[in-house]
Amino acid sequence: MLTAAIAENNKKKMGMHAQTVFGQTILGIILLLVAATVILPFLYVLVVSFTDPSVYISGTVYFWPKKWSAKAYQLILSGSGFLNALKSTLFITLIGTPLNVLFNAGLGYMLSKPVPGKKFVNKAVMFTMLFGAGMVPTYMNMANLGLINSWWACILPSTCGAWTVMVMKSFFESIPKELEEAATIDGCGQLRIFAVIVLPLSMAMLATFTLFAFVSYWNTYFSAIMYLTSSAKAPLQVYVQKIVLSTTISDVVDLANELSKEVPQEIMRMAAVIVVVLPVVCVYPFLQKYFASGVMVGAVKG
Amino acid sequence: MAEKAQSIASARRPFKKKSLASRIYEYRFIYILGLPGILILIIFRYLPMWGLLMAFQNYNPHLGIMNSPWVGLQHFQRLFSDPKFYNMLKNTLVINGLSLLTFPAPIILALLLHEVINLKYRKFVQTVVYLPHFISWAIVVSLTFFLLSTEQGIVNKIAVSMGKQPYAYLFSEKAIYPIIIIQEVWKSAGWGSIVYLAAITGIDKQLYEAAKIDGANKFQQIMHITIPSIMPTIVVMLILKMGSMMSVDFEQVWLMNNAMVKSKLEVFEIYIYNNSIASGSTQYSYTTAIGMFKSVISTVLVVFTNWLSSRKGYEGVL
Repeated sequence: MLTAAIAENNKKKMGMHAQTVFGQTILGIILLLVAATVILPFLYVLVVSFTDPSVYISGTVYFWPKKWSAKAYQLILSGSGFLNALKSTLFITLIGTPLNVLFNAGLGYMLSKPVPGKKFVNKAVMFTMLFGAGMVPTYMNMANLGLINSWWACILPSTCGAWTVMVMKSFFESIPKELEEAATIDGCGQLRIFAVIVLPLSMAMLATFTLFAFVSYWNTYFSAIMYLTSSAKAPLQVYVQKIVLSTTISDVVDLANELSKEVPQEIMRMAAVIVVVLPVVCVYPFLQKYFASGVMVGAVKG
Repeated sequence: MAEKAQSIASARRPFKKKSLASRIYEYRFIYILGLPGILILIIFRYLPMWGLLMAFQNYNPHLGIMNSPWVGLQHFQRLFSDPKFYNMLKNTLVINGLSLLTFPAPIILALLLHEVINLKYRKFVQTVVYLPHFISWAIVVSLTFFLLSTEQGIVNKIAVSMGKQPYAYLFSEKAIYPIIIIQEVWKSAGWGSIVYLAAITGIDKQLYEAAKIDGANKFQQIMHITIPSIMPTIVVMLILKMGSMMSVDFEQVWLMNNAMVKSKLEVFEIYIYNNSIASGSTQYSYTTAIGMFKSVISTVLVVFTNWLSSRKGYEGVL
């Protein structure tokens, strides 16, 4: 009787277990399909970009090339169009990212302190989230400032954003006051407190926003087509758009190069996409560490 | 009496004043830290607002804002009688309405991710699905091109190899909305799931224990515990979405645009860009008026929806 009951119980447990395994498998497959929509396009582009022109036949689908080659990359990386665009993107990204983090953190820190006028500044910052002057007045303003066709037009406006300031502000508010008070008693100045105590305590948050800023500057496109009138100054996103989406690629690809006659347009296009997307994909794993943290949740809301 | 009160007040005032000045002085270095950010916002956010005056003028670049002739609301009158304006409004609302249909996508993804027991697998999927958020529109549109282009797209290559006619998806008025909605879901659903996942993680585990004892299965647990518990988050996100009903992503629409789908993708931003900055045409005043109309409606929407959310007892967004 008892053994029968135990057996029955075990059966139930087993049933539950089998059910869980079954459910988890189905779930795993569904999510794998979701993930595949992200992985497969990149994989396909990567494979085709490394296909040797000699085995490439237009109109064929390649999942695995018969012969590998990096000729498309040789052509792309040596072209002056690419090098100019890279230079432009590097300038925008390397100057923009530190300024962005510094300015946002500075204003966020100021608003986390009981400084006179804080309420007013807070409201003024929030208002920029609510209302913008629009494209034409912003462009006119940029022209008045003499920043048309300057990389600074792509850098400066986004060095301070209401939403980042607010997230940083609430982060700084969460740092225990006692730490700063103790430092003040020890004779530490305000700037030193910020540099020596506050910033080191905020490393995870700052790292997250550094990477956000990096990615957004690397992806600069809109402000580039708005303000950069000379094509020699265009950044990588404009370059990739020209090479993939426009019918005349002569102004971005060096036609004097022998390889340009050999490498089919399609392979060239895919190599360009890989080159431009690579830094973001490389930086991305460093972001992953912070996905679960509160900063990211605040981040998504905005 | 009054004199006495005044003397007390005047005795206090200098003290207070001194206190304010000394407090400002006390925080002088903090102000220095905040100053660059404030300047950036003034120069690049507030200064352009001066240019909104162009909407009420016949702006002439040679005369400048100070000397251009005033025309009152003429541009707004033109706006409301312009059939193009109604087309733009319709396109904007249709695109946003369609994208509203995909609102549950990140919620469903979060529910699925939360049920995964193997944490390593879960982390792998999360890492992958968050990635598109960081990919630029230029790349996303390029990938779309490699997928759907008539000659170089993989879909049409397969169709041709099976003996079918290729279909010009990217030039089809019928296909363009589904394409841009799918692009948007692909790009943002994973990232959007983070906020719901955080909300789900915050649910009290005891609720599930109790439900299990009562014999509730997984589906019942999700319907009766998980979804009601994350309702506040869902409402806030929905409200945020409503607040952006008047905006369409310029980069996406700009990059997807071509002569064949032009009329379907003509939204405010595109029209403004094409008729002011891009062409060197001088419709500065009219386009400023369109932009101003859009900004004002957006602001009203955000303020209204935020008020709605705080009235419903949910934490406001602003």
